[in-house]
Amino acid sequence: MNLSHNYLYAAAMLLFCIGLYNVIVRRNIVKKLIGLNIMETSVFFFYISLGYTRNGVAPVAGAGADPTRMVNPVPQVLVLTGIIVAVGVTALALSMVILLHRKYGTLDTDQIMRMARQEETQAAREEGN
Amino acid sequence: MKRLLALLFVAALAVLLLFLVTKMPSLGDPDNPARQGMATQYLERSPEDTGAQDAVTAVNVNYRGYDTMGKVGIIYCALMGVLAVLGREKRGRIQARLDGARVAPSKIVEVMVRFVIPFIILFSAYVIIHAEISPGGGFQGGAIIGASMIIFTTIFGLQEASRRMPQGLRVPLEGSAIMTFFVLGVLGIAGGGTFLTYAWPRVSTSIQPALANWLSVIVEMAIGIGVGFALISILFAMMREEEDLEPVA
Amino acid sequence: MAIFMITLPLLGAVLVSIVGYLKPHWLPWGALVPLLASGVLGCMLIGRIPSDGYISYHLGNWSVPLGIELRVDYLALFLMLLICALGLLALIFSRRYIVKEVSAGRMTAYYVLILLLSGGLMGFVASGDIFNLFVFMEIVALSSYGLVAISANSRAVRAALRYLLMGAPASIIILLGIALLYMATGSLNMAELAGRIGQSGYREILIASFVLFVVGFGVKAALFPLHLWLPDAHSIAPSPVSALLSGLVVEVSIFGILRIAYSVFTPHVGNLTSATSNALAVLAAAGVIFGGVMALLQKDLKLMLAYSTISHVGYIFLGLTAFNAEGLTGAMYHMLDHGLAKACMFLCAGSFIYIKGFRRIEDLKGAWRQMPWTCFAFGLAAFSLVGIPPTAGFISKWYLILGNVKAGNWVYVVVLLLGSLLGAFYCFRILYYMFFQPGKEGAWTPRPADVPPSMLIPIWILAVATVFFGLFSGLVIPSLLKAAGLLI
Repeated sequence: MNLSHNYLYAAAMLLFCIGLYNVIVRRNIVKKLIGLNIMETSVFFFYISLGYTRNGVAPVAGAGADPTRMVNPVPQVLVLTGIIVAVGVTALALSMVILLHRKYGTLDTDQIMRMARQEETQAAREEGN
Repeated sequence: MKRLLALLFVAALAVLLLFLVTKMPSLGDPDNPARQGMATQYLERSPEDTGAQDAVTAVNVNYRGYDTMGKVGIIYCALMGVLAVLGREKRGRIQARLDGARVAPSKIVEVMVRFVIPFIILFSAYVIIHAEISPGGGFQGGAIIGASMIIFTTIFGLQEASRRMPQGLRVPLEGSAIMTFFVLGVLGIAGGGTFLTYAWPRVSTSIQPALANWLSVIVEMAIGIGVGFALISILFAMMREEEDLEPVA
Repeated sequence: MAIFMITLPLLGAVLVSIVGYLKPHWLPWGALVPLLASGVLGCMLIGRIPSDGYISYHLGNWSVPLGIELRVDYLALFLMLLICALGLLALIFSRRYIVKEVSAGRMTAYYVLILLLSGGLMGFVASGDIFNLFVFMEIVALSSYGLVAISANSRAVRAALRYLLMGAPASIIILLGIALLYMATGSLNMAELAGRIGQSGYREILIASFVLFVVGFGVKAALFPLHLWLPDAHSIAPSPVSALLSGLVVEVSIFGILRIAYSVFTPHVGNLTSATSNALAVLAAAGVIFGGVMALLQKDLKLMLAYSTISHVGYIFLGLTAFNAEGLTGAMYHMLDHGLAKACMFLCAGSFIYIKGFRRIEDLKGAWRQMPWTCFAFGLAAFSLVGIPPTAGFISKWYLILGNVKAGNWVYVVVLLLGSLLGAFYCFRILYYMFFQPGKEGAWTPRPADVPPSMLIPIWILAVATVFFGLFSGLVIPSLLKAAGLLI
């Protein structure tokens, strides 16, 4: 059955779903970000396994290396880009988390929303007076 | 309730994706459409076209160099986003609340870190310059430079670290990668090709691979410096003195 | 030439950050230079691209399968000029406005991010390689997240985080779509893909790839059930940023789907894409109604404008899914019209905030006494958004409806008309408050004391442009029709 032969692809898809579940469900922002990173890593894993060739060698033209046996270099370049995007997004998200934590003292999204709503109703009440 | 719905949705998605996996081309098959496309041309032509033996670097820097310029742009964008959220410190001394609160590390740790960091930087230089010959490259090396500064800042504190990496040094160097790409791109046009050509058609074909090689090394070094300093600036922005949220406008 | 339109703002961003370090006073002026240069280059390109052709630029002097290709056809140039224009006008408006919302330590980051956003948008639109499209899309996304958070107050950071937590998974989904496409065809160049998709045997993978693209770009374009991030993000961002986000970023994401649906998965492989396109049309129609109804219920001006954006995104999608030249022309012209009008309205909202700090619609009662120029411009833009005759909005809606009539989608024609009716309600309600209702005691001064000229001029340029492109649509429409016909 093709599924057991393409086991690397299947693993990547499962990791993708696990990551997506964590992004949707977790209340702690840092855990959501970890879920996001799992999603991203799963897609990189998918790209690299897509470039795999059976009995392949690294795509470095050293002494007498045979180009027809090398693995595909293109997915590796695409994954480099992907890793950089992941790093950038994570850095940006963490900076926002830092600011939110300083103000609210918690990393729990439900608590933050509750505190923010309280603030806003209080501000509206003061404006009305 | 939300958890149950999310679980059902993700489970359904997993089933669909696994069904998709059964339809995918066989793993590792050398006749894959992916392997038969541009990959064979890259692998066969990269040593003569680009002077690089590592096909991945050849593709990254030379054939798809415009994408790499975009990647450096993404890192710079992330840096500016972090600075937009946290703010750049005023010129002059940088304060960190954490400096006062930290537990002083033991003398052994301080001495070892002082000893090891130059070697880490040397290693990152090795990774950057060896991009053409073995797996390596500007981004990898830049990340190692950033890591070395993170170690330094963690052990010695933000004040010490910012004395060695003042803002006046970091601001131009963060953007140096994009500037280098632009300059090389224009040079490529002057050399007779289109933007970001490394093997200038105007020079003789015998020195084209060597020229492409040298220009790639310059680009990789610029990427390494740009990425490293961007990471250092992000670190400094995250660690510095507490700046609270502004009131709602 | 086109390559410099993209790279000059990126280089300019770096130079502006150095200027911001050395001489912060020069920041607003310095930031204008790269976009002006891009605009000039764009105008020089206008004559060079025939409406049924394109410019192909091979970067690095490598031929197509090996290197990256830039493909600037008429539609792409059209959008690139719009990006330059809106970017410039937002920057001019920002000079006075932005000190009120952004602290001094973040000022450099603001101008740099605006330039990066503009460069990224232009790179996205001009790209002929699908992975290059992704790279520039990430530049746009990261700069948008930063710009939404830049006022650094609690609401802004929360809105930006929510935007990020929906936008980043969307980017990953698009990356997965690209992976599936590469796996099935072995190519990353859009023109080559168009050929190979028809011949590839991996049908299910291609269908899945298209679905992933639609979902990913749909989140970024705020397609109906995936729009949850937009109201907070666009309403809390500083007004020039909201203008750029609603007027450009969302529309360029729709252009991304246009590229995928027409240039990669061409209409020839309709058997792969038709089910998804029909679903897309249904969601777009739902978005039109949803956006309109929610806009009616809002009390905050910028929130109302944000929901209106969701509604208009639905219009543009309904033009795309008609799959004929008139629908596509309507969609592109509506991108122009919505970009101009919505940007104008957001800048006017910014003017109200700048002068008085008012954000609620109720506070705008009787505004025309003190701020007649802003109110009149807002009125013009509102007319265009609703689609009243001499404005560009009328032309775009005409073609949208024509396209759907030709395709036989009578339900969507009704939806489009209903949407216009809802638009009339929420826009004219504001005009009624501004012009025909007396203000609260002491709220407005009886003599005009409007915003300074550097803020009024961009507002009026945009408002006049909506009328200009309505009266002189003949400048653009025939070429658009020909260019659209090429894609069908």
